[in-house]
Amino acid sequence: MIKVLHYLNQFFAAIGGEDKAYHEVIFFPHAVGVGTVIENALTARGVEYATIACGDNHFHEQEEKALQAIRASMDEFRPDIFLAGPAFNAGRYGLACAKLCSWVQDNWRIPAITAMHEDNPGTREIGRRVFVIQTGASAASMPESLKRFSWLIEKLLSKDQGAIDNFHAEHCLPIPRRFTVRTTAPDYVRAVDLLLAKLNGQPYESEIPRIEAQPHSIPNLTASLKDATFALVTEGGLVPKGNPDRLESSRGTKYFKYPIGGRDDLRHGEFEAMHTGYDTSTVDRDPNRIVPLDAMRVLEKAKRFKKLHDYYFVTTGTGAMPSKMAEIGAGMADELSRSGINAVILTAT
Amino acid sequence: MVLITCLSDVAAQVGIGRIMAGNKFHYPVGQPELPHQEELRWRVALIEKALASLETVVQQPEIF
Repeated sequence: MIKVLHYLNQFFAAIGGEDKAYHEVIFFPHAVGVGTVIENALTARGVEYATIACGDNHFHEQEEKALQAIRASMDEFRPDIFLAGPAFNAGRYGLACAKLCSWVQDNWRIPAITAMHEDNPGTREIGRRVFVIQTGASAASMPESLKRFSWLIEKLLSKDQGAIDNFHAEHCLPIPRRFTVRTTAPDYVRAVDLLLAKLNGQPYESEIPRIEAQPHSIPNLTASLKDATFALVTEGGLVPKGNPDRLESSRGTKYFKYPIGGRDDLRHGEFEAMHTGYDTSTVDRDPNRIVPLDAMRVLEKAKRFKKLHDYYFVTTGTGAMPSKMAEIGAGMADELSRSGINAVILTAT
Repeated sequence: MVLITCLSDVAAQVGIGRIMAGNKFHYPVGQPELPHQEELRWRVALIEKALASLETVVQQPEIF
């Protein structure tokens, strides 16, 4: 007999929709909604199933209160396994599932399993040892996600570490966060071991997972260059002197746009580069060396293209998380396309 | 989009379509050894090349 406690939001617990998002924590001594599917899959094992539900807004706005109520249920029901979700791409729900699983894992040391889409902001709140089953972006992937919950529970009960590891590799999201772990040898020994293995043609595996670039389509101009509006974009950190918006000089998390309408070039003393990844002195002396406004104006006057956009876009591309840069890129691309920009010249250091 | 960078191989690995070699990584579209007017002429020529790359249909990473 195992005891499973399953967390659901107000919607998946059939309490109500957005109008019930402030619903307080409620305990059900049985499976609710999607929980019944998992319960049925585990009947052969013998399972005691309970559900805890709470409105998405209540959880976030009164987290302490919600956790207190859930703590009481945890202590009373004493589950062997804690489940939350699946949350798919629902942000508030995903965050609640992630926080709860991490909190349960830390406080009760029982397996905690959630499920969500890789873009769910909840993935940033996942703690160590929490299983995060990968789902699609919408509830269309519900049946498959629920099957994975019960498979994983089976494997956890069988205590077959190999099977758990395989499941993790195949169905769980890799969480790109750093945790403290104990190792058998210090880093310099492991680094030299890796190097020796590589030199001796033996198998070796880097401790730092390589981030693969997502495949994407390459856009081509849809009309002639003469009719195109251009924008200048840079990751070189060029900002107005004094850095009014506090663009980070490394590990950038933001982008900004600054007006260049009416300017023929960028002057020394009016702009400066915020970037710890390169020596910015040459650019500071003549900012056109990173954002080529002067040359663009020459070609604009020669009617080589229709118009240069009145703003240039900037971020700092050094030491940054690729996922954050992808977000920044998507934000810029969205804003540019909504401004009717047809083409971009991007300068990178 | 055309990317002007000194790390063309990295750009090609991540799948950028149009890649152009910049001058130096700390001033990809600068040539500080030249007098100002000549540097501008050099930069106009570089950007002209970038514009021409945009007139070329590209299916996979290409270094211009």
